[in-house]
Amino acid sequence: MTISEALARTIIDPKSYAQREIADAAFTQIRAEQPLDKAELPDFDPFWVVSRHADIKEIERQPDIFHNGDKSTFLSPRDGVERVKGLTGGEPNLIRSLVSVDGDEHKALRGVVFPHVTPRAIKPLEDQIRAIAREFVDHMLSFGGEVDFAQDVAFLYPLRVIMTVLGVPQEDEPFMLKLTQELFNNADPELNRRRAELTPDEMLKSLWETTMELEAYFAAVTEKFRANPTGQINSLIANATINGEYLNHRQLMGYYIIAATAGHDTTSNTTAGAMWALAERPELLRAMQESPDRINAFVEESIRWEVPVKHFMRSAVADCEIGGRQIKAGDWLMLSYQSANRDETVWADPFDFRIDRDQNPQIAFGYGVHVCLGQHLARMEMRILWEELSGRLKSVEMNGRGERAISNFVCGPKHVPIRFTVN
Amino acid sequence: MRKWRCRNCGFIYDETLGLPDEGIAPGTRFEDIPEDWYCPDCGTEKQDFELVDY
Repeated sequence: MTISEALARTIIDPKSYAQREIADAAFTQIRAEQPLDKAELPDFDPFWVVSRHADIKEIERQPDIFHNGDKSTFLSPRDGVERVKGLTGGEPNLIRSLVSVDGDEHKALRGVVFPHVTPRAIKPLEDQIRAIAREFVDHMLSFGGEVDFAQDVAFLYPLRVIMTVLGVPQEDEPFMLKLTQELFNNADPELNRRRAELTPDEMLKSLWETTMELEAYFAAVTEKFRANPTGQINSLIANATINGEYLNHRQLMGYYIIAATAGHDTTSNTTAGAMWALAERPELLRAMQESPDRINAFVEESIRWEVPVKHFMRSAVADCEIGGRQIKAGDWLMLSYQSANRDETVWADPFDFRIDRDQNPQIAFGYGVHVCLGQHLARMEMRILWEELSGRLKSVEMNGRGERAISNFVCGPKHVPIRFTVN
Repeated sequence: MRKWRCRNCGFIYDETLGLPDEGIAPGTRFEDIPEDWYCPDCGTEKQDFELVDY
């Protein structure tokens, strides 16, 4: 038996994630009835829907069997994948980044930046990031009691942090934000490149145009940092070598693009979602003010709650068994992090936002060798923001309806209108 | 010989195998690894590993 077409359509529909209760209800049903089963839709290659926390971990800890880059890394219709192959010379992903490569190439590429983003390596950045956080807290408070926290704080603070770490000038931040939103919110008329409802063909064209615009920008970055190397991440990428050779064009561009887009968008989504949760639960602010050591738990629960990367795809290269099901070589699998972070076998109350959990093994960053490269930086910048902000707020509540972006891949709240008072 | 798992990403440190690429010889007990060592896959610090196999 396969997952019903209606259910499968629901979990791939970008609008289901804009009204998250729709996606959550569908995945709750899938976890209960068909936690690891196939979806077969006429316009897509068949794919397994992996909904349980344990099954995703089991898959992600076997990167030799479950590859990222052999097929599309995110869910795409068959026709779209073929068009991408036409544009890239045969590769199924428009961008060749860390999330779409495997094996030795992945290890070598990851090794370029990894030593510079470990907890120990980023510790010296704490004061610099705290200064940025204070600047954005002051910016928020300057609105005088009402602000769209997503637009005016959450989109901007992680952007400033990552651009500082990468070595991108502040004047280029609006450009980076715009192109990031185009890349990840292609189905959302408010955020995509054309600011319109797009057909699948128009979506691909828009993505290609955005990618080319980013590549044109980063070509100059390579020249700049090869001429004058620094310790900033873009300089490390520009000057990295594998077996004595600079990274090839696709590797270079993929690295710049993922660092400059995913490096802030996911943190922005989580931060915006955290404020939304806080504004609906006044007891959380009091708890953090009384016990600032709960801020780490608040951040971790925010990541579990918001789960900004909704899914990644894997493809099996060998027959194997996962969760009692036989997976065949060549099978394509959708790992739903949103579902895994609501798994009732891991959290007794997955739809409650709680900061008093004994353990919170959320899996929003992934697991195994592909676990998010920037996770420690993301946690640190969120912790610092809430340390700076929570003490200054007297109250916060929603000031109208929040809105989530329309996307089934990387997304989160795009509007979080709040009303606040300060101490 | 025992195995230790990174709580964050699932990386396994197997005392039997050590990590020769990182200069940790086969047979090195987990407690004999320097305290500033971190998970080679995700950067998580040594204290966040858990024992998984006696």
